[in-house]
Amino acid sequence: MAAVSQLQRQFIEYTTSLYNEGYLDDQFTQLQKLQDESNPEFVVEVVSLFFEDSEKLLNNLATALQQKIVDYKQVDSHVHQFKGSSSSIGAQRVTNVCVHFRNYCEEKNLDGCLRCLQQVKHEYILVRNKLETLFRLEQQIVQAGGSIPMME
Amino acid sequence: MAAKQHKRNYMISRSSSTPPMASFVKRLFGKIHSAVNSWERNHSPCRRRSLHRDVEQEDLQHINTNCLSSYYSVFVARLAIMVMLAILIGLLTLLTWHFTKVYTRTSLNALAYGLRYELLQRPVLRMWSILNSTVEITTAQVRLSEYVIRKYNRPENQAQQVELYEVMRDVTWALFASYRALNSITIKYKNGFVQAFHRDPRDNSTYYIYNDLTNYTMSGPYDVNMSSSHQGWNDQTIHSNISAIWYREPLDPNTGEKIGKQKAIPPDELINIAGISQVPYGAASWHVAVSKFTNSPLLSAAMPVWDESQGNIMAVVGVTTSLYSVGQLMKELVGFHSGHIYLTSQEGWLLATSSTTPLLTNSSTGPKLMMAVDSQDPVIQTGAKWLLKAYGNKPPPNHEVHIEHAKLGHQTYYIDSFFLNLKRLPMVGVLIIPRKYIMGKVDERAFKTLMILISASVCILIIGCVCIFVLTNGVSKEMKLRAELISHLDARRKAEASSNYKSQFLANMSHELRTPMAAVIGLLDILISDECLTNEQYATISQIRRCSTALLRLLNNILDISKVESGKLVLEEAEFDMGRELEGLVDMFSVQCKNHNVETVIDLSDDMPKVVQGDSARVVQIFANLISNSIKFTTSGYIILRGWCEDPHSCIENGKFSFDQKALWPAQKNKLIQQENQEKSSCKKDNRVILWFEVDDTGCGIDPSKWESVFESFEQADPSTTRLHGGTGLGLCIVRTLVNKMGGEIRVVKKNGPGTLMQLYLLLGTPVDMPLENYKLKYADHNLKVVLALNGSMCRMILSKWLFKTGVHTWEACEWNELTHILQELFIPSRYTQNLTYECSKVESISKQEMEVSVFIIVIDIGLLNLSTDIWKEQLNFLDIFYKRAKFAWVLNHDTSNTIKMELHNRGHLMMVNEPLYKSKMVQIMEAAIKEKMISLRHGILGGDTHEFLEIDNVHSDPESSNDSEKSELNCSTTGIVQVEETRRTRSSSRYGIVNNCFLELTEVCSERNKQGANETFPVSQEKRMQYAEKTISEQKSLKGVRILLAEDTPILQRVATIMLEKMGATVVVVGDGMQAVEALQTPSEGGMTTQTKMRVPPPYDLILMDCQMPKMDGYEATKAIRRAEMGTDLHIPIVALTAHAMSSDEAKCLEVGMDAYLTKPIDCKLMVSTILSLTKLQPNSLT
Repeated sequence: MAAVSQLQRQFIEYTTSLYNEGYLDDQFTQLQKLQDESNPEFVVEVVSLFFEDSEKLLNNLATALQQKIVDYKQVDSHVHQFKGSSSSIGAQRVTNVCVHFRNYCEEKNLDGCLRCLQQVKHEYILVRNKLETLFRLEQQIVQAGGSIPMME
Repeated sequence: MAAKQHKRNYMISRSSSTPPMASFVKRLFGKIHSAVNSWERNHSPCRRRSLHRDVEQEDLQHINTNCLSSYYSVFVARLAIMVMLAILIGLLTLLTWHFTKVYTRTSLNALAYGLRYELLQRPVLRMWSILNSTVEITTAQVRLSEYVIRKYNRPENQAQQVELYEVMRDVTWALFASYRALNSITIKYKNGFVQAFHRDPRDNSTYYIYNDLTNYTMSGPYDVNMSSSHQGWNDQTIHSNISAIWYREPLDPNTGEKIGKQKAIPPDELINIAGISQVPYGAASWHVAVSKFTNSPLLSAAMPVWDESQGNIMAVVGVTTSLYSVGQLMKELVGFHSGHIYLTSQEGWLLATSSTTPLLTNSSTGPKLMMAVDSQDPVIQTGAKWLLKAYGNKPPPNHEVHIEHAKLGHQTYYIDSFFLNLKRLPMVGVLIIPRKYIMGKVDERAFKTLMILISASVCILIIGCVCIFVLTNGVSKEMKLRAELISHLDARRKAEASSNYKSQFLANMSHELRTPMAAVIGLLDILISDECLTNEQYATISQIRRCSTALLRLLNNILDISKVESGKLVLEEAEFDMGRELEGLVDMFSVQCKNHNVETVIDLSDDMPKVVQGDSARVVQIFANLISNSIKFTTSGYIILRGWCEDPHSCIENGKFSFDQKALWPAQKNKLIQQENQEKSSCKKDNRVILWFEVDDTGCGIDPSKWESVFESFEQADPSTTRLHGGTGLGLCIVRTLVNKMGGEIRVVKKNGPGTLMQLYLLLGTPVDMPLENYKLKYADHNLKVVLALNGSMCRMILSKWLFKTGVHTWEACEWNELTHILQELFIPSRYTQNLTYECSKVESISKQEMEVSVFIIVIDIGLLNLSTDIWKEQLNFLDIFYKRAKFAWVLNHDTSNTIKMELHNRGHLMMVNEPLYKSKMVQIMEAAIKEKMISLRHGILGGDTHEFLEIDNVHSDPESSNDSEKSELNCSTTGIVQVEETRRTRSSSRYGIVNNCFLELTEVCSERNKQGANETFPVSQEKRMQYAEKTISEQKSLKGVRILLAEDTPILQRVATIMLEKMGATVVVVGDGMQAVEALQTPSEGGMTTQTKMRVPPPYDLILMDCQMPKMDGYEATKAIRRAEMGTDLHIPIVALTAHAMSSDEAKCLEVGMDAYLTKPIDCKLMVSTILSLTKLQPNSLT
C-alpha cells in the first residue's frame, strides 16, 4: 500500500506541476470530472483523439506552409481547429501559441507562421509526453490497486 | 508683293524677338520660385511649431512641393495660352488690315496712273499742236514765198524789186495776222533784206521790222551751185551789213495798217531772224530760242524757200512761236489737279513749267535758258534733283519713269516723266503730284484703320489675358483646394482608422480585462470568508476588495464608453418590468444611503406601464449611475426617483406637473411631437411610450454653467470633487449616450432649493396594451385606513399623497408620541371626542360598526422605536393593545438586529418590509391585509386555529419582505426544477423571517433569472455566474430529457461535449458538419416527393449546438438554412453557437444569422447548461 500511496503522491505532484507550469488548465480538470463509471477511459480516449487530430493537423499545416503560394485562409482554419481542440483538452500552452499563429496568419507573415509552426510542434510534443507520462502513472496506480486521486 | 514682303519682315521680327521673350519667361519663373521659397521659409517655422505630428508635417511638405510644381505648370500653361492668343490676334489684325488695304490701293494706283498720264498728255499734246501749227505756218509761208518770188523771178528794176517786197509783205502779214499765237515771222532774202512781223506780248503791239534796202545789190544772185554759197549766206552777211539801218514801224494788230512812224532801232534789238545757217540741209528745222521781249522761251522754226528752176535758196522763212501758252495750260491743269508739271529739253533745259517762276536767267549776254535743276520753284528743283540723283546722266531708255514714293522735302510725291521724241527737239515732260492728293485720304484711312485695329486687338489681348489669368487662377485654386481636400480626406480616413483600431482594441480587450478582475474579486471573496484571518488581514483584504470593485467599475465604465463609441452597443429589445427594476435599484441604494443619512424615495406614477420593451440592464445602468452620483454628492436630505408616463394617446393624470416640464422643454416637446407623429404613421401597433424620469437630490448641486458639460467625457462639475468623492467623470457621459440611444434626452433642470434635478425621458415600447391597475377601484370598497408612522418625511408625504388619491384614508406620524396619539384617537373613541386637533380624524367618525368592516393598517418604521434602551419592548406592549383591530406592518432597517426581528415575530408581527417603503410594497401590504381580513371574515365565526392561517398568510406575505419580485416570478412561471428549488429555499429562509441577510444576492439572482426567462443571454458578471452555477451544479440531471443535436467536426470536442451533456441527462446526437445538421432536421424523404426543406413537424431536437467553423457547410450557413426552412411555420429551434472566436463581433455575427446564443470554446460546462436551460425553457411543451 505504501507503493500505492507513493505513486499517488507522485501523481499528484506531477499533475500539480503540469498545472503550475501551464501545460494544462481547468479544462483538463473538467475532463477528468466527466470521467466516471460509465466512461472509465474517457480522458485517455479524448486525449488520444486529440493526438490523432493534432498529428494530422500539424502535417496539413506543414504541407500548407510549404506551398509556393501559401493559402493563409486554409492555414488559418487549420490553426483555428487546432486551437479549438487543444483548448478543449486544456492544453493551454498549445492554445496560446495557436493564438499567436493566427495573428501571423492574418498578417500573412510567412516567417512568423513557420516559427509558430515549430513552436506549436514543440509544445504539442511536450504536452504529449507529459500526458503520456501522466497516463502511465495512472495505469501504474490502477495496476497497483489504488484509485486515482482527484485533483481539486 | 509688298504685303508679302511686309509679312516676311513681320515673321522675321517675330522670330528674332522670341529668344528675349523666352529669357524673360525664365526670369519670371526664377522670381516666382524665389518668392515662393522665401514665403515658405518665412512661414514654415511657425507652422512647424504649431504642428505636433510628424505625419501632418510630412503631408504639409508634400502639399507644398505639390503646390510649387503646380505653380510652374500653371504659369507655363498660362503663358503658352497668352502667347498663342497674342499671335492669333496679331495675325488676324494684320490680315484684315492688309486685305482691306491692298485692293483699294491697287485700284487707286491704277486710277492715279491714268490721271497722271492724262495730265501729262495734255500739255504734251498742246506742245505737239504748237509745233505742228508752227511748222504748218512756216510751210505755208514758204509755199507762198516761193509762189511770189517765182512770179517776180527777174526783177528788172528797182520798182519791181520793191513790188515784190510789197507783195511779200502783204502775204506775210496775212499769215501772221491769221495766227495769233505766232510771235514773229521773218523772211530773209538772199540779198540780205529782211522782212519781219513781230508781236510784243508785253504791250500786245505788233511791229513790222525791216532793214534798209540801200545796202543791197539787186544783182548778185545766189549761186546755189557754188560751194561757197553757204559762206555767202552765213551770218556774217548780216553782220557785215551792220551798217544797215533797221527800222521798226508799229502796226495795227488787226488791219496791219501803219499806225506810227518808222523808227530806226539798233540791230541788237532785233528779234531772231532765221538765217541760212538755220537751214543747213535745206530742210525745215527748229530750235528753242530766247528773246528779250518775252520771259518764256520761244520755239522757232526755219525753212528755206527754194527756187525750183535754179535750185537755189531764195530766202529763208522763220516762224517763232511762244511756248507761253503751254505754260498757261500747264498752270490751268495744275490749278485743277494740284502738283507741278514741267517740260525740258533732252539736255535738261526748262521749256515750260506750271509755276510762275521765270524760266530764263538774265545773264550778261542777255536772257538765257535755265536748267530744271536751277529752277526757282522748290518742288520742281528738288524733283529735278531727285531725278538726276536717281538716274544720273543716264536716263532710262525713252525717259519713261514712274515713281510712287519720291520723298521731296517733307512730302512724298508721284513723279512721272514722259519722253516726247520730236525731230531735232526731243522733250521730256515731268509730272510731280503730291501723293497726298491722290492717296491722301486712303493713306489716312488706312492709318486710322490700322490704329483702330491694333488698339482693338491690344484690348482684346489684354482682356483675353486677364480672362485666362482669372480662369487659370480659378482652375489652379480649385485644383489646390481639391488636393487639400484629398489630403484632408486621407487624414480623416487615417484618423478614423486609428480610432477604429482603438475601439476595436478596447472591445477586444474587454473580456481580457474583466476576467482577471473578476477572478481577483472572487478570490478575495473566498479569502474574506475564510475563518482564520486576523483582524488586520481581514481589514486589508476587505480594503483590497473595495479597491478591486472600484477598479472593476472603472473598467466597466471605460469599456462601456468604448463600446458605445465603436458603435458596438446594441440595445436589447426585451420585455421587462420597469417598476420592479427601479425598485430593486432603490432597495440596493437605500442601504448605501442609510449610511449617509439620506432618504431614498421612489415615486412612480400609476400610469407607468408595467411591462416595457427595452434593454433592462442599460436602463438600470442609467439610473444606477444617476442615483450613485446623487448619493455621492448628497450628505443629508433625500434622493427621489420620480417616474411618470407621457403617452400621447392617453390622458395624463398628473397633468399639471408634466405640463410644467413640457414648458421647460420646448425643443424636446416639438421633437417629441414629431416623433409621435412619425410613430403614429409608421407603427401604430408598436405602442411607444415616453417615460419621464427625474432624479432629485438635495446635494451640493451643479453650477448652471456646467449643466451641459457635465455630460461630456471625463468632466466633473467641480474638479475638486475628484479629491472628495473620486470618480472618473465617465458616469454621466455613459448615461447620456445610453439615453440618447434609447431615443431620449437628459438634462439638468432648474430646481427650487439646493441640489440637482436631472430630468430625462426614454422612448420605450410597450408590448401590448396592458390594462392599468386601478388602485382606486380596488381599494375604495375595502374601506382601508392606513396609519403611516415613518421617519422619512419625503417618503411619507409621497405615500400619503398616493394613498389619498386612491381613496385610502391616511394618518401621518413622524415620531412615537404622535403615533400613540393617533392610535388612541382612532381606537379609543372616548378620547377621540375630547381631542379635535387632528384634522383627518375630525372628518372621520369611526363607529364601532365601521371598525368592523374597515381594514386598519399601521405601518411603523422600526426607527420610531427607541432601540437604544429597552423601552422598545414597552412600546411594543403598547401596540399589542391594537393588535386585534389593526394590521401592523413593520419597516425594517437593513441593520435591524435579529433579536428585534425575533421579538416581532414572536409577538405575531409577521408583515415586515425592508426600507425603503414604496408604492408596490405598500400595495402588497394592503393586499395581504385585505386577504387576511377576508379570510378572517369567512372563518371568523369558526374562530378555529388562527395559527394555520397565519402560516398560510406567512407564505403569501413573504414576498413583501423585500424579495417581492421572487413572488411574481413564482406566480408566473411554475415550471422548471430550478424554480421549485428556488422556491423551497426562499420559503425555508422566510420561515424564519430572516430575509434581509441574503437580500442582495437574491435580488440579483432573481433579476438574472428574469432575463434568462425572457430568452436573452448576455455576459453576466462572473461573480453572478459563479453563484448561479453553484446552484445548478447541485442538480445533476438538470437537462434530463432534453434532446440536443451537436454539430461539431472536431472529434475531441464532439466527445467532450457529448459526455458533458449526457452527464446532465440530455440525449445527444452528433453530426460532423452543417450539411448533416440541416439534413437531420428535415423530414425523411420517404414521405414522397415533398419538398426537401420542409421541417419535420414536431422537431426531433430541442436544441442545436452548432460549431461555427465546419467543413462542407459552416455553422452560419447551416443556421441560415435551418431558419429558412423554418420560415412560414411557427417553429423555432434554439441554436447555440460554439466557436473559438472570442471577439464580440463574432457574437454579433452569430446572432445576426439567427442563432439564439453563443458559447465560446473551451466549453464551460455550467455556462452551457444554463444557456441550454434558458433556451429550452421557452418551449415547455417540448420538454418531456
